[in-house]
Amino acid sequence: MIKIDTLTVQFGGIKPLDDLDAQFVAPICGLIGPNGAGKTTLLNVLSGFVRPTKGAILLNNALLLGLSPRRRVSLGLRRTFQQELVVDELTAMENVQAIADHVSRDRAVARREVGLALDFVGLSDRRNTLGRQLNLFERRMVEIAKTLIGRPTVILMDEPGAGLNESETERLRRLLVEIPSKFNTQLVLIDHDADLIASVCIETLVLDFGKRLAMGPTRAVLNDPVVRRAYLGRE
Amino acid sequence: MTEISKIAPIPLVVAAGSEITPRMRALAIVVVVSAVSGLIALTSGGYWLSNFTQAYCMVLAVLGCALLYGQLGLVSLCQWALVGVGGWVSLRFYHYVHPPFFVTILVGGVGASVIGMIWGLPALRMRGLYLALVTLMLAGAFQSLVTVISFPVGGPGFLGQVGASGNDRINMARPVFASSDTGYFLFVAGATILCIFLVEAHRRTKPGRAWALIRKNEQMAVAAGVRIVFYKAWAFALSGFLAGVAGALLAGLFGQLDASAFPTTNSIVIFIGTLLGGYEVWLGAFLGGILTRFIPALLIDLNVNTNAGFMIFGAALLFALRDPLGIGGQLTILAERLYKKYQAQRAS
Repeated sequence: MIKIDTLTVQFGGIKPLDDLDAQFVAPICGLIGPNGAGKTTLLNVLSGFVRPTKGAILLNNALLLGLSPRRRVSLGLRRTFQQELVVDELTAMENVQAIADHVSRDRAVARREVGLALDFVGLSDRRNTLGRQLNLFERRMVEIAKTLIGRPTVILMDEPGAGLNESETERLRRLLVEIPSKFNTQLVLIDHDADLIASVCIETLVLDFGKRLAMGPTRAVLNDPVVRRAYLGRE
Repeated sequence: MTEISKIAPIPLVVAAGSEITPRMRALAIVVVVSAVSGLIALTSGGYWLSNFTQAYCMVLAVLGCALLYGQLGLVSLCQWALVGVGGWVSLRFYHYVHPPFFVTILVGGVGASVIGMIWGLPALRMRGLYLALVTLMLAGAFQSLVTVISFPVGGPGFLGQVGASGNDRINMARPVFASSDTGYFLFVAGATILCIFLVEAHRRTKPGRAWALIRKNEQMAVAAGVRIVFYKAWAFALSGFLAGVAGALLAGLFGQLDASAFPTTNSIVIFIGTLLGGYEVWLGAFLGGILTRFIPALLIDLNVNTNAGFMIFGAALLFALRDPLGIGGQLTILAERLYKKYQAQRAS
């Protein structure tokens, strides 16, 4: 569970996040908002890459602010980035193993976790394929597999469906809904695809200009006229 | 998380069909380096054998440079200075303790490794042009320093110098089994194989994977729990170790070293050799290292001004710009294609 309390980030005169209060309790939570709403900034604050001006964040009752990004990783925080970052020269398995090297308890556990993660995302047959030979969907799957290593407590996914076609998005959707139960973790999902958010996320936070516009059950939030006007551009 | 325990461990590398396994790559290293070395030992003598021994020392220096550039994208232009550090430390240690030759080499390697790491630490937050310039300045500083203090020649005190006549100079002795020029060349070839194995072992295990993450995206590496400074320092240390071993082997070749043999420009030549040979595969460092010594030696043999070597390297860099894989990378791809074609033919 993530609890955000009066979180403010200020870069000069700009406030990407402005007195934000929110709580992610559901197994899969969505985070949406128009471009520049502060979604990625919030992920960067959660990961420890951006220091907030004020406020507090609790991850399963542990205070996050003040902890280094590595310490947050050891608390089980995982994330993906907007662009996929698969290493071309490593195989699919080595890409996942590279994470296990630093977050798994020991080598035997690491191997098991890598095998399980690749199995889960459907890349067992492609595990010895070099990153540069994987297609976009497979590369996205490698990125997801990387977050499943080392008993994650919260996984932050920044637009995992970017660039995927309809059938691939459908496969992604089926995969995402299974993650919390299979890996005993919570998923926070940023995506511009409102359909993906609607079908996967139980509750959703909507940001606009760094402020909380709405938060609650996803369907209700997406049907909120204020949200529709600000985010979807229609009522 | 209970599912994890039910999944059987899977091998990290699976050899299937025409896949090139780590064992085959290891065999390729031994076969190629042994074949080239055997050919050189059988056909060369005197001037050329000495130059090829130096070329193999250059291979180790290029190997370290390629490690930093290929694995982390770091441009280090102080590699030849670290060779000098390794030579200085090994000579100093040899004249103090008179240890077995292997120990002298290791001490030279460790000495340069420590210095390389110390030099590298302030530069760890730098990249690209700034790191290149800082390391180049360090190479210049070493050249100035070693010109003043010179290399130890068995005299008293920390600097180990003797009187102006130089009659009391003591040479570093080679190992008994490698006292001949041919024997020593083959000894250096063996050390080269071991050093290539050392780098390959790093590239294919935890540090290599961590370096790959760092090179891809430092923020992503941090988010994966990688200790950036630690692994960068490790790379600098390993690169310095290789240069130090090269310096110790050079000291063994000549018995003593001269400060004039360590100009700053050689560090740039080593980097050019890294680009020409190719920094992603061991064969690139092997060929790049040999070229950096072979071309000047050939020019001397032909009575041509050695500065012409810079023109040749410059022209060859155009090739490197066109093809970042380098000569070694291209040859490796060709060899892999031929092997897979052969396997496919055999299977059909």
